Amino acid sequence: MAVFEIASFGAIVVLVVLGLGIIASMMGIFNFAQGEFVLLGAYVTYIVHSAGAPVWLGMIAAPFVVGALGFVLERLIVRRFYAAPIVAMLGTYALGLIIREIVRGLIGGLYLSVPEPVGGSVAIGGMHFSTWRLVIIVITALVMAGSYLLLARTAFGLRIRASLENPALARASGISTNAIYGATFAFGAALAGLAGALIVPVFTLFADLGIRFLIQGFVAVMVGGIGSFAGPVAGAGLIGTLSAALPWVISPVIADVAVFVLAIIFIKFRPQGLVAGKGV
Amino acid sequence: MLEIAALVIGLLLPLVLQDYLTVYATRVLILCLFALSFDLVWGYAGIMSFGQAVFFGSAGYGVALLARDLGITSILLVLPAGLLIGFAFALLLGGFLLLGRHPASVIFVALGTLTGSYACDRLARGWYYLGGQNGIPSIPPMTIGSYELTEGPAYYYMAIGFLIVVYLLCRFLMRSQFGLALAGLRENEQRIAFFGYKVQHLKAIIFSLSGAIAGLAGSLYAFHEGFVWPNMLGVVISTQVVLYVLFGGSGTLIGAVIGTVVIEAVSFWLSNSYQDIWPIILGVLLLLVILFRPAGLVSLLLTERERVGNFGRSPGKR
Repeated sequence: MAVFEIASFGAIVVLVVLGLGIIASMMGIFNFAQGEFVLLGAYVTYIVHSAGAPVWLGMIAAPFVVGALGFVLERLIVRRFYAAPIVAMLGTYALGLIIREIVRGLIGGLYLSVPEPVGGSVAIGGMHFSTWRLVIIVITALVMAGSYLLLARTAFGLRIRASLENPALARASGISTNAIYGATFAFGAALAGLAGALIVPVFTLFADLGIRFLIQGFVAVMVGGIGSFAGPVAGAGLIGTLSAALPWVISPVIADVAVFVLAIIFIKFRPQGLVAGKGV
Repeated sequence: MLEIAALVIGLLLPLVLQDYLTVYATRVLILCLFALSFDLVWGYAGIMSFGQAVFFGSAGYGVALLARDLGITSILLVLPAGLLIGFAFALLLGGFLLLGRHPASVIFVALGTLTGSYACDRLARGWYYLGGQNGIPSIPPMTIGSYELTEGPAYYYMAIGFLIVVYLLCRFLMRSQFGLALAGLRENEQRIAFFGYKVQHLKAIIFSLSGAIAGLAGSLYAFHEGFVWPNMLGVVISTQVVLYVLFGGSGTLIGAVIGTVVIEAVSFWLSNSYQDIWPIILGVLLLLVILFRPAGLVSLLLTERERVGNFGRSPGKR
């Protein structure tokens, strides 16, 4: 039972971090608005649900809506920040602030709940597992495999990696790095939107939903190592598992803090992260 | 010029303000002090600290505990204590993040301080001795001899006194050789290293110094408000101070002060009628400043010559 809890929480963290990690690795930007993209995904799901449509429809719509918004924001604002990583942090922080406060205004500081599209539980070997959490684990695995294949096996993925490795040469080879960056950012945002949509039945919807995941995500990306696909995923798996597993051993508050402290110490002595090197 | 104008306005303000506004103005002054501490690390030395509230809040909690458990409220003891607590925490965190064999990347320091702030917030929330979610309420007022210093004009003048002293010290420091080395660090770290400066030591020194100033601000804040709560350590205050300085103009001392005063004043003015949309407006304004006025509001008033250096790209070159 504990293992299932840990796995399902680990899956949630991986899902949230995947988009963040792709943006950080492929573009060198730490997107402070990522938590708010998660929030928006959750909000879209809520809107669709409260309009009377089935919840799963909202969950399908969320990544597209958030991805589209991500694309627009990248075109208008974020692309100006590529030269300076710190300015990018602050700029995306401002974006996140705007999104968060707008959503707060719309939902009015309430805690709203969205039902699970697939309720009930599945009995395996005499133990009951929440169906929805199983679905999350499965979807996370699918999304991870899909993203990996997209980056490693398709021509589009090759272009993304080329733009990461050597932007000048990529441009000289006729790849529009601008368009690639836009698409990558939109893809990362869409993943965050999907994550938000999937987790909203587990957590409730409230304006500060994203902040917690944001810091967790950053730490996971740093632990895993920037520049590769495997790095952030490994980091997210580790951080997610630790944050879910430690509270079973020591008191939750200490566990929460301990994960972060351990992670920072780890990064201090191994700045390149778990998975060093670039590529997929 | 700007500095003298600000000083005159600051000194005359309590004479024209109603009492409750003086209390609000005192809070703003203390936040100005806090903003100065962040300006030193980011504006001058180019170290991004997203955890400035750790020093602010830990000093606040420290003096609150002194007052609650030991009954120590004398100004001669609590303010130096706050200063020391902030200094010690900054030395620990900064020493850990900045020193060592691997030179720390900017991103690592930013995320490390942010995480530190988040962790302290969580810890304070869960620690019964520190009052948990509610913090420590009803701290007794600060005392000078037998005189009790409560909020009002007296506290206002004390706060402005500290602000002036710290401001002048910072100003002196930043125009010294040390300050120039720091500005050089921000502009081109490698070159400063080649000049023979110990870059990491310089960074750790200014980080601890700024922690001490944040600690002073935190202890003043704790006694002024009369209570401390976990938010004082957390990410919200940490980012708030970043907003003040960016908005006003990082890399100038007066910019930090102006940013704090403008944001707090507008926020006070708007909070009655437009409470919900004010954070949105703040976000939009901040974004505009970052995009179009990277030098902050103060660049509308000050000439380039008065600023030690510019950020990112040099002026005129794109």
